[in-house]
Amino acid sequence: MATMGEPAPCDTLFLGGGTPTHLTLGQLTRLLAAVERWFPLAHGGEWSVEANPADITLSTADLLADYGVNRVSLGAQSFDADKLSLLERDHRALDIRHAVEICLPRFTSVSLDLIFGAPGENLDAWKQDLQSALELAPQHISTYGLTFERGTTFWGRRLSGDLRSIEEDTERAMYETAIDTLTDAGFEHYEVSNFARPGHRCRHNEVYWSGGRYWAVGPGAARYVGNTRSSNHRSTFTYLRRIRSGQSPVAESETLAPEDQAREKLVLGLRKMEGVLLADFERDTGFAPHDLAGGAISRFIQWGLLAQQGDRLQLTRSGLMVSDSLWPEILRR
Amino acid sequence: MPSIDCQHIRNFCIVAHIDHGKSTLADRLLEQTGTMTVREMKDQVLDDMELERARGITIKARAVRMEYKRGGETYELNLIDTPGHVDFHYEVSRSLACCEGALLLVDAFQGVEAQTVANGYAAIEHDLAIVPVINKIDLVQARTEEVADEMRQSLGVVPDEVVRVSAKTGVGVQQLLDAIIDRVPPPKGDPNAILQAMVFDSHYDKYRGAITYVRVMNGVVRKGDRIRFLRAGAVYEVLELGQFVPRQRACEQLQAGQVGYLICNIKSIADVHIGDTVTVAQGEAAKPLPGYKPLQRMVYCGLYPSDGQDFTELRDALEKLSINDPSFEFSPETSEALGFGFRCGFLGLLHMEIVQQRLEGEADIDLVQTAPNVTYQITTRKGETLEIHRPQEVPDPGQIEEFRQPIVRVNFLIPDEYIGAVMNMCHERRGVQKSLEHLSAARVMLTYDLPLAEVIYDLHDKLKSATRGYGTMNYDLIGYEPADLVRLDILVNGNKVDALSIICNRGDADRRGRAVVKKLAEEIDRHMFEIAVQAAIGSRVIARETVKAMRKNVTAKCYGGDITRKRKLWAKQREGKKRMKSIGSVDIPQKAFMAVLHTGDEKK
Ligand SMILES: Nc1nc2c(ncn2[C@@H]2O[C@H](COP(=O)(O)OP(=O)(O)O)[C@@H](O)[C@H]2O)c(=O)[nH]1
Ligand SMILES: [Mg+2]
Repeated sequence: MATMGEPAPCDTLFLGGGTPTHLTLGQLTRLLAAVERWFPLAHGGEWSVEANPADITLSTADLLADYGVNRVSLGAQSFDADKLSLLERDHRALDIRHAVEICLPRFTSVSLDLIFGAPGENLDAWKQDLQSALELAPQHISTYGLTFERGTTFWGRRLSGDLRSIEEDTERAMYETAIDTLTDAGFEHYEVSNFARPGHRCRHNEVYWSGGRYWAVGPGAARYVGNTRSSNHRSTFTYLRRIRSGQSPVAESETLAPEDQAREKLVLGLRKMEGVLLADFERDTGFAPHDLAGGAISRFIQWGLLAQQGDRLQLTRSGLMVSDSLWPEILRR
Repeated sequence: MPSIDCQHIRNFCIVAHIDHGKSTLADRLLEQTGTMTVREMKDQVLDDMELERARGITIKARAVRMEYKRGGETYELNLIDTPGHVDFHYEVSRSLACCEGALLLVDAFQGVEAQTVANGYAAIEHDLAIVPVINKIDLVQARTEEVADEMRQSLGVVPDEVVRVSAKTGVGVQQLLDAIIDRVPPPKGDPNAILQAMVFDSHYDKYRGAITYVRVMNGVVRKGDRIRFLRAGAVYEVLELGQFVPRQRACEQLQAGQVGYLICNIKSIADVHIGDTVTVAQGEAAKPLPGYKPLQRMVYCGLYPSDGQDFTELRDALEKLSINDPSFEFSPETSEALGFGFRCGFLGLLHMEIVQQRLEGEADIDLVQTAPNVTYQITTRKGETLEIHRPQEVPDPGQIEEFRQPIVRVNFLIPDEYIGAVMNMCHERRGVQKSLEHLSAARVMLTYDLPLAEVIYDLHDKLKSATRGYGTMNYDLIGYEPADLVRLDILVNGNKVDALSIICNRGDADRRGRAVVKKLAEEIDRHMFEIAVQAAIGSRVIARETVKAMRKNVTAKCYGGDITRKRKLWAKQREGKKRMKSIGSVDIPQKAFMAVLHTGDEKK
């Protein structure tokens, strides 16, 4: 952080990348103090911290609140013991309840992450998870379909036949159930995977999705400054070695041409449920969506995957379900 | 090179089934006659194109001159290498017409096979002196005497006359050279007559234009002569002539009985017709030599650039390729589904594969190829005769008086335990049995007439699997016969995809239709919408499959660090669509165009 040279005031802060709460109280205090010094939070700003439910104690929560953290995102994943162990998590349902109880009075927003589509999971089990989450009355919920990605243990376990992914139809039903259940309970579905009670959206993430700029610190962290996206080395070891020898920790960076910035912004914008306001988009980027990908957009409208009402272009429910198939057409120059 | 009298010339070729050792034997002959030193020898010098090497086949006939001294006399031996595959049948026959003798080469273990018989008969028909040779006698499994008997049974060879050699070790090669001189008659031509030479091959050289290979039948051709190609009607000056030893070596003249090459600054290989006659430009011309046939393309397919690939690039690549391969033909065509492309004619399926590989390998062109089909004939109610090179051209059933398909006579050479299996295979394909003959106790020759369409796609593979690899086959076009044929159309989401239409027997249409739509539905990836794949005859749908719509395809996490990776991934998915064609928003991969070859008779 010291490489910043001088402190950079911020509107939003996000301490993530797993579980900063795993640190001892002493270490956490040093971290929070450093962040406070180099990235002072503007008045009315949002400061989120990711936390593992099992790590939350009264003293950590108090410490976070004392430094001005006002949003906690808990990696709950599930309330089902078997599912948790399959997902290789070390906490229990009880830990989640405990953590939420501690956090609710101390922070403006508490968010729960939930995972659906674990091997062997059925729709009823997922509904149960959603109910359990709602009962705790968090202000924000994120739901993620389990993905098998190269480099994860799940990938290897699926390859070896140990795990089987669930049927696509079931996975879709789970996703739709999440949307219906949470919106019925008064949450706004504001992005593919995110639901918030009014006034509790994650402002930090909204910066990502609106094509805004941000700094980043730490291994693997990604920043978007000027027209350049860059990310730090993923390996903690390399990251530290570079920082200590006064080298840049950046591993990859790319500078985007204005048109590519616009295409990317269009995709990220459409992943938000409110979609994109055409006139605003053109004003901000200099490109009209219909000029960038008019053919694809009208086809998608015709197929009922996108909808245009007045100045607003947004995904329909069926478009949302297969939205990854839309993006290649929009990103294509 | 001093003029040589005909008595000292021997022109011969080697005919053999593939892999019986023709190229290896040619190498030994070159070595034994000192035409090439061992050090100069690359293995199998006659197969010099990279692709031939890769596929182990000989595509282009070549002629090599060797000198052999015996008893104070020097002989000129011209070895004319013939192509070994059925697709190049016509070129084989032209090569034979240049020779007085043929070495009929048979593998001491494999014995007589289909091309042994086919090429052996062809050599006999051309009145060539046959020198029967059994090769690979060094093999421990060699069954030389039995094979000699098979040769007697199938081709009337006298076992005592068989020369036994090993092209690998060189055993018997000396005796073979003696047999060539003693048994192959010298050429009969008259050096004082009017020039008459036959073009038996050609190839294109970047710097010198088309090079023609000729056998001089009568007269003499000299450097500087003006010559006429009778068929093409074109006149050229001979800039250079010579022989291959085995590399090109210029000389002053070629005379009756000799084999060599001519370079005349011919800009286009299209002006050179295999089988054409060369004579003098002025004065009385010689008679055309008999046996010329225009090349016959047996198989046609469409070649189209993939999405994002340039039409003109494909055209340039085809032009470049056809310069060196006059047997391959192409003309522009359009398909409603595929856009602008070319209809290409080939001598056979192997030829088609070679061309396609060259296009992709040498020219780096990304192709969409439609399924191959044969040429049909239709007589319309109005009495017109149509040649149908692609299924789209078939008129409405109401206009068709008669629909005819090409029929070939197929010889199968098989161990007799597989007779039943091969007969079944032929009956399923509407074959008519012509004969069954035992060549030896355990080997038979089975002859069937079959529709060419049933033969070209996969009969060879089917034969191999029905006979555990021991069966071989050979075929010859014998003519056209009427059949109850229909055009089967394929519809994708209700749109007829012209490039997927096929012609098949009415009785097979249901089975073919079901098999094709099933295969197609497997080849097409799921889309954002459901896709109906249907087979129809006219307006009657006979089979249907659906490609279910994609149900869920959505990235859950797209935060700061994910954005770049995801954007690149999505952008790449666009590129992944190369080798595809978008037809009414449905991306159809190349492989799907071959799905129409599925006959539905595959055993599970
Ligand atoms: N053992 C043995 N192998 C041989 C002999 N002649 C050729 N071969 C092998 O048989 C295979 C086919 O030979 P090739 O000359 O390419 O056959 P072609 O297809 O008729 O030209 C090669 O692997 C040769 O090495 C021989 O006399 N003895
Ligand atoms: Mg060979």
